[in-house]
Amino acid sequence: MGTTASQLGKDLLSEYQELTFLTKQEILLAHKRFTELLSKEDKALPNPRIPMQSILTLPELKSNPFRKRICHVFSTSDMKDGSLTFEDFLDLLSAFSDSATLEIKSHYAFRIFDFDDDGTLDVGDLEKLVNCLTGETDDTRLTPDEMRQLINNILEESDIDKDGTVNLSEFQHVISRSPDFVSSFKIVL
Amino acid sequence: MAARCKARCIKFYRYFLLNSFICLSTSAPHANALFFCQVTMHKTAINLNHFDGLFVGRCRTLKCLCPYQCNMFPAYLPRSQVLAFKSSKQSHQCGSGMTSARQTLELWQGTMKEIGGKFGTSVLSYFLFLKWLLMFNIFSFLVNFGFITIPLLASDQAPDIPQGVTFRGLEILTGAGYFNYTVMYYGGYSNETIKGLLDYNMQLSYFFTIAAYMVLCGFSLIYSMASSFKRNYVLADPASGGAWQLLCSWDFSITSERAVRQRKNNLRIQLKESLSERAQEELLTLSERLKHYGVYLGSWFLSTALAAGCGATVYYLCQYEEEVRRFKSTQNETLLVPFMVSLINLVIPLFYSLFNKFEHYSNQRRQIYALVLRNVILKVSVLAILCYYWMNTVAKNLIRGHSPTRYCWESMVGQALYRLVIVDFLFLILGSFFGEFLSNVIGTRLILSLGVPEFDVARNVLELIYAQTLAWIGIYFSPLLPVIQIIKFFILFYLKKVSLIQNCQPPRRSGRAAQMQTIFIALLFIPFFVGALSMVAYTSWSLTPSEHCGPFRGLNNTFSVVVVWMDHLENISGSEWAIWIYQKVIRSEIFYFLITIIVLVIIYLFWQVTQGRKLLIVLLRQQIVNVSVFASTVPKYVLLPMIVCLCFHLRISIPISPIHSFIHFSVMFELNLYVCSAQMFKLAML
Repeated sequence: MGTTASQLGKDLLSEYQELTFLTKQEILLAHKRFTELLSKEDKALPNPRIPMQSILTLPELKSNPFRKRICHVFSTSDMKDGSLTFEDFLDLLSAFSDSATLEIKSHYAFRIFDFDDDGTLDVGDLEKLVNCLTGETDDTRLTPDEMRQLINNILEESDIDKDGTVNLSEFQHVISRSPDFVSSFKIVL
Repeated sequence: MAARCKARCIKFYRYFLLNSFICLSTSAPHANALFFCQVTMHKTAINLNHFDGLFVGRCRTLKCLCPYQCNMFPAYLPRSQVLAFKSSKQSHQCGSGMTSARQTLELWQGTMKEIGGKFGTSVLSYFLFLKWLLMFNIFSFLVNFGFITIPLLASDQAPDIPQGVTFRGLEILTGAGYFNYTVMYYGGYSNETIKGLLDYNMQLSYFFTIAAYMVLCGFSLIYSMASSFKRNYVLADPASGGAWQLLCSWDFSITSERAVRQRKNNLRIQLKESLSERAQEELLTLSERLKHYGVYLGSWFLSTALAAGCGATVYYLCQYEEEVRRFKSTQNETLLVPFMVSLINLVIPLFYSLFNKFEHYSNQRRQIYALVLRNVILKVSVLAILCYYWMNTVAKNLIRGHSPTRYCWESMVGQALYRLVIVDFLFLILGSFFGEFLSNVIGTRLILSLGVPEFDVARNVLELIYAQTLAWIGIYFSPLLPVIQIIKFFILFYLKKVSLIQNCQPPRRSGRAAQMQTIFIALLFIPFFVGALSMVAYTSWSLTPSEHCGPFRGLNNTFSVVVVWMDHLENISGSEWAIWIYQKVIRSEIFYFLITIIVLVIIYLFWQVTQGRKLLIVLLRQQIVNVSVFASTVPKYVLLPMIVCLCFHLRISIPISPIHSFIHFSVMFELNLYVCSAQMFKLAML
């Protein structure tokens, strides 16, 4: 299900519309932006794949602290290099769109926050998450004491079965109680 | 093999318990089935082929039973299956054509997206609130214009304007003069039955239109308040305001590098503050606490005294204005009272913010609530004084100097409200200029430490609520006041949008926008709408309408229109049901008494149900922890009977009330059912 032409076929467009949460205009805009990122040789391929570096030049993702994780989560490449085909790109936009449901958004948020891809958010994942959001340099991150206390607070709040990690159900439970999540988990081209 | 099987049983049971706890605490009745599906899809929980096969098969059946719940997106299914999921769900819906058509019709959709993207949800909530209030006014205008004004205009009755009164431009500001005799005010409406295709009774239509509009407004407000409360207070745990909320509210749609850096800074500061808050709560000594309480008491006393003082000022100003008018005996209305009222509303909140800076609050949320409460008290007291003056002095014609033949007190009140609305609009424009533009100039050029101002959502929303209350009070006295309100809100939207983009920066604290919105809707409803409704109700129940103008002239009170109509209906056959409803339901006290008793009993039942569920959540939480601690060390032949015993133990130990035990029984029955089926699978595996 790829395309080489610079225009999307009508039935392909309506199929994408059925299978994602995006509207027609959004899919066309996504196609336009995707083909702009393709290099000349790739345009001739049936199912072109854009490397992660090119995706990260998009202005919507350029300054996002989670840009690399997002590419890894939505990528279907066997080499786990974060490259995206057009359908992966549509999946990305669909999950981050206005009309995506809370379950889908929380599901993908969990996968993005799970830095080591083991299916749970343990202390290492939470630490990386906090560092991502507060700053990378030494003078902007939290002290080790504060980090430890913060992670304790987080686990106290959300770890229901007290196993020291936050799994998907617990994460979704916390998210369902945070009414601002849906409106902030959004990327619009 | 035995150890692996035991590990899987434990994990499965833990996941099941966790999911039952979650589904109970979110009160989703059929979520048990949903989570059964979800449990099996977690490859980390269960990794057996035939387990998978059994459960997936069962899930397909369950999916048919509750299709509306199964919109989950399991992570580990191949993409084609995932796409098939979505495909089967969406083909049942009406079609995306409808959604895109609806999107283009919505007002200001693009602007809202832009504002939400740049400034966040708390600022966006102000604009959404403004749009919502605008809808109320549009509806009111359509209803009033359609049912009251158009029949009058169509009946070709020329308004009896006295000689020499023509339209001068000043009327737009004062509302008097030429406007006094048009359909703008109550006095311009006749009390006759218009003969045409049908007999259109103007009195009944005026009364019922206003009453129906107020009742519909009330229902709409109650519904919004209740759903917002459920979504943002009950489901969102207010106690856990902490770290997760901050982390999960990271805005993914920010695109500029500088904004991202700024947000990271703000987030770090907020995280540090929340950490130190928790640590600091126990550290205050007794003398410090006494000092804090003294400061609180002092500032509350001062603010209440200020509010009372303003109320008294407004009252004396009203009387003074009347005296001036009597002595000079002109018809020129002055804008003194509206000017003073708007000035009070502009200046006194600044004092309140000043008091707020001296007080010490452990919680930023409490600070905002205290400020909002003081502003509300001020506005309510000013409005209450004005209404009291109108009801007591103007309505009872205690003002000397007016010729009794042309005195139309409802039109006078309507004019006073019109002037209030217009001057309030002018002050909103001025306030936007001073509040945002000047603050920006001062913050960036003169006192650099202040910085670019933030958009003060609370103050602006309170101003909107006040403006809407004026319109609600004025509906009875001036049916076309919503027109002015619509124009005002339209201009205000664009003004605030421009001012926001030019002058303000995004808010530093990622606030609790959703909860503040609930508070604002609750404020809109309880003091302001209920106050406006009671004033209109008091007017129509107890006050005598003017004798020479308006649709209710000559009657004792407005409500007697209905009484007269009921008498009239007795002569018409086929309308006995209306008379029966009127006499047995509306006029009888027994009916209201019975209704009250029934509503109280239902409330008590629901309250007991809630208490029972809360208790159950606590017990399930404990059970989850227990299982995860003990089950890993307990041998298999003890584990199975222990599970059964736990369930029965739970059922026996909570006989607090019949309702509690009924709920526990039904839930435990389901729990037991699932546990028994789980045990059967475990036994099958051995």
